[in-house]
Amino acid sequence: MRNRVVITGAGVISSLGDSPSSLQLSLCSGRRAVKPVELFSTAGLGCPLGGEIPSFDAKKYLGRRNLRPLDRTSRLVASAAQIALDDSGWSESMRKQQEVGLVLGTMFCSVHTISEFDRRAVEVGPGYASPMDFSNTVINAAAGQTAILHNLRGINSTISTGITSGLQAIAYATEIIRSGRARAILAGGADEMCFESFYGFDRAGLLCRSDESAGDFPIPFDKRRNGFALGEGAALLMIEDAHFARERGARALAEITGHGCAYDCSHAEDDESAVNAIALSVRRALNDAFTGPHEIDCLSASANGSYTGDRHEAKGICAGLNGQTRKLPVTAIKSMLGETLGASGPMQAIALLETMRDGVLPGINGLEQVEDDLAFDLISADNSEIDLDEALINSVGFDGHCCSLVLARVQ
Amino acid sequence: MKQRRVVVTGIGVVTPIGTGRERFWTNLLEGRSGIGPVRSFDTSAYSVHRGAEVHGFEVENYLSNLDAAHLGRASQFAIAAARLALADANVEIASLDLERAGVSMGTTSGEPREVERFDDLFIGKMLERVGPEFLGLYPSHVIAAHIARELRFAGINIMIPTACAAGNYAIAHAFDVLRAGRADLMLAGGSDSFSRITYTGFAQLGAIAPEVCQPFDRYRKGMIPGEGAGVIVLEPLSSAKHRGARIYAEICGYGLSCDAHHMTAAHPNGEGAVRAMKQALEQSETNLEEVSYISAHGTGTATNDRLETIAVKQLFGDAAYRIPVSSIKSMLGHTMGAASAIEAAACALAVYHDRIPPTINLREPDPECDLDYVPNCAREHVVQVAMNNAYAFGGNNASLILRKCHQETQKTQTS
Repeated sequence: MRNRVVITGAGVISSLGDSPSSLQLSLCSGRRAVKPVELFSTAGLGCPLGGEIPSFDAKKYLGRRNLRPLDRTSRLVASAAQIALDDSGWSESMRKQQEVGLVLGTMFCSVHTISEFDRRAVEVGPGYASPMDFSNTVINAAAGQTAILHNLRGINSTISTGITSGLQAIAYATEIIRSGRARAILAGGADEMCFESFYGFDRAGLLCRSDESAGDFPIPFDKRRNGFALGEGAALLMIEDAHFARERGARALAEITGHGCAYDCSHAEDDESAVNAIALSVRRALNDAFTGPHEIDCLSASANGSYTGDRHEAKGICAGLNGQTRKLPVTAIKSMLGETLGASGPMQAIALLETMRDGVLPGINGLEQVEDDLAFDLISADNSEIDLDEALINSVGFDGHCCSLVLARVQ
Repeated sequence: MKQRRVVVTGIGVVTPIGTGRERFWTNLLEGRSGIGPVRSFDTSAYSVHRGAEVHGFEVENYLSNLDAAHLGRASQFAIAAARLALADANVEIASLDLERAGVSMGTTSGEPREVERFDDLFIGKMLERVGPEFLGLYPSHVIAAHIARELRFAGINIMIPTACAAGNYAIAHAFDVLRAGRADLMLAGGSDSFSRITYTGFAQLGAIAPEVCQPFDRYRKGMIPGEGAGVIVLEPLSSAKHRGARIYAEICGYGLSCDAHHMTAAHPNGEGAVRAMKQALEQSETNLEEVSYISAHGTGTATNDRLETIAVKQLFGDAAYRIPVSSIKSMLGHTMGAASAIEAAACALAVYHDRIPPTINLREPDPECDLDYVPNCAREHVVQVAMNNAYAFGGNNASLILRKCHQETQKTQTS
C-alpha cells in the first residue's frame, strides 16, 4: 500500500504574476513576459531577450524579516514558500508542532553568487571574500535559507537535473510521502535570471535569435522557432499525505497520481534516442498512475521554442501515448514565461491546477505555423475550454533528462 | 507488502589516500594521511596552505565513450569511481537492462573549476574565450549525466547537491528507487573536486587547520578541504543472490532532517542530528543496542566534533560509550559532497571485514569529546550495524544504516 499524495496549496513568483490565479489570467490573456533583458547588459550576446520578474521585492511577501543573508534565488524561493504555506494553511504554530519538509529543484541555485564570491577573492584577495556569501555558494543554499526563514525542519533536499529539476523534485517528494517518511513537503523549483547562466546558454546557441518573420519571442512547436528565451521564478506546491490532509481539514486541489523519468544518453544528439527517452518517461508516469493514454485530458508540454527539443518532445509524447495525441489539447506556457529552468515544471503544474478549476487551457502564444507532422490536431494559439480530470505534465532537458507527472482531480 | 531489500555489491573510490577499493581500505586501516601542500592553485595569498588532493589520477583508464577534454574534474572522478564500482561488483554492463539502470549522485559544488575559469576570463576581459562548452561542463547535474553517458545508463538520473551530506542523500534516494522497484541497479555516491571557491570560503570561516586534521583532539584546529569521489553499486538482494554477487552490506534505512537554525553552524544541542539518527534507526527497525560502529561526520572543527558528540550521547545515552565512533576525515580531509559516500563505502567495508578504520592524529582527547573514537589504530570489532552520519550547510542532517548481510539473516529475515 502506498499513501496517496495531494496538493493542498501553491505559491508562485513569476514574471506573469505572483499568485496561481494571476499567472493563469496572464497566460490566458496572452501576455508575454519575454522582453529585452534589463537586469544586466546583453551587449555582444546573440540573444537580448529574457522573461524577467520586473521589480521583484521579497519584502512584499516576507515583511520585515531579515533578508540580508538571502540572495535573489533564495528570496524567490522564500517568497514562493510563504505564499504556498499561507495558501495551504500551514501556519507558523503548526510548523512548530509538526515537521514540514522542503524539496527544491534548481539547475544553478545561484551561479551568480558563486561567481561574484570567487571574483572578489581573485580581484581583491581571499581575505576580502564574504563568509556570509560563502554559505550561499552551495547549491542547496536556497533550500537551507528558506528552511531557516520558515522553520521547515523536515526533510530538506535539493534536486538538480537541469530543466527537469523542479518536476523531478515534486516526484522525489511524492515518493517520500507515499512511503510514509513525511506528511507534508513543499516541493517545486526555482532559478534566477543572471548574467552567468544567460551567458552559458547564449554561447551554447540555445537561445532564440531576433527574426523578423517570427518576432522577438520564442514560439514552441512553430516552424519559425529558433531557440528559447530564459526566464526566472520560483514555484512551490504544498504536497501532503491525503489522509492527514483530510484529517486537518485541508482542501485538496489535486492528486499526484504518478511520475516517471528517463535519461537520454545521447543528450539529445540522436533523434531516436531522445524520442525513446521521452516516451519511456511518459509511459512510466502513466503506469505509475495506473492510467492510460485515453484517460489523459490535456498535456502541458516542456516545449520552449528549441528547434530540436520541441520536435523530440512531440514525437516522444506521441510514442509514449501510443499515438493517441490527435485529439489531445496541448499547451506550452514557456511561449509566454520563457524557460524558467528549475521553476518550469512546477509552474506548468500550478497553471494546470487553475485549468482544473476554471476549465480554460491557455493557448500557445504566437503559434501560427504549426510544425509539420506533430500528431497534435488541437494545438493552437487560442485558449480552449476543457473539462480536466487527468493531466500529463512533461519536462525535458536540452541535454537528456526527461520527467513526467500525472495530476488528477480529487475524486 | 513484501519490501525489497537493497544491498551494496560494489565499491569504487577515488580518494587522497588511493584509488580503488583495495588500496583505499588498506591505507585506511594503516592510518595513512592524504593531506599535503595544495598543488591545485597558488595559496600564497592565504594563511593556510594544506589540502587533501588526489594526485596521479588518470581518467583515460576509465573512459571508453566520452572525451576527457569535455569533462570537468568532478565528472572524471565520478566516472572512474562508477567504473571501479561496477568492476568490483562484477557487473557486466551488457547484461543489464539499461533503461532500468540509474545514477544518483551528490555534490557540494558541482564543477566549480569551470566557474573559476569563467571568472578568470571575466576578470581578464577575455570572456569571449568561454565557448559553447561551458554549459555542458558546469551545471552540477552533468556529473550524474556524464556517468550515464559513459555507461549508457538510461534509467533514473539524478543529482542531489545537498553539500557535505550529499553522498548520503544520493545513496538514500537510490535505496528508495530500488525499494519502489523503479530500477534494477543503481550507482550512487558523491563527487567533488578541489576548488579555489571552497578553499577561500572555509579559510574565511577560519575553519581550515594549518597542518593536520585531528578530529576530537583537544587541540584540533579545523578541517582540511579535500577532493574525490565515492560510488557504490546498489541492487536488490534477490538479484545479488541470483548472480552470486559478493554482498558487502545491506542498506536498511536512513533519516534526513533539517535544523532550520543556521546556514553554517549546527544546532547548539544537536537537535536535528538526533532526529536524523532516530529516524534512521526507526525506519530500519534497528535497536540502539545493535549499532556497532558510527562513522562520524568528524570534520575536525571545534564545534562540529563537540556537537556531534553531544548528539550521539543524547540519543544513545550510556550506550554511546560502548560504540566505536571514528572519523576517516582525519586521513582523507573533507572531500565535500563525496565525503559521506566514501564514508558509506568505508562503513560497508567495516561491516564486511569486521574492522574499524581509526581516527588518526588523536593524541590528547578533548574532555568534551569523551567517546571511543578508535584513536590512531584500526580495530578488529564485529560490525553488525554501522551508522553513517553526515551534516551539511543549510542545516541538513543525514544518517544511513548499513547492516551485515550473511546467509543466516537472508534466511530468517524474509520480511
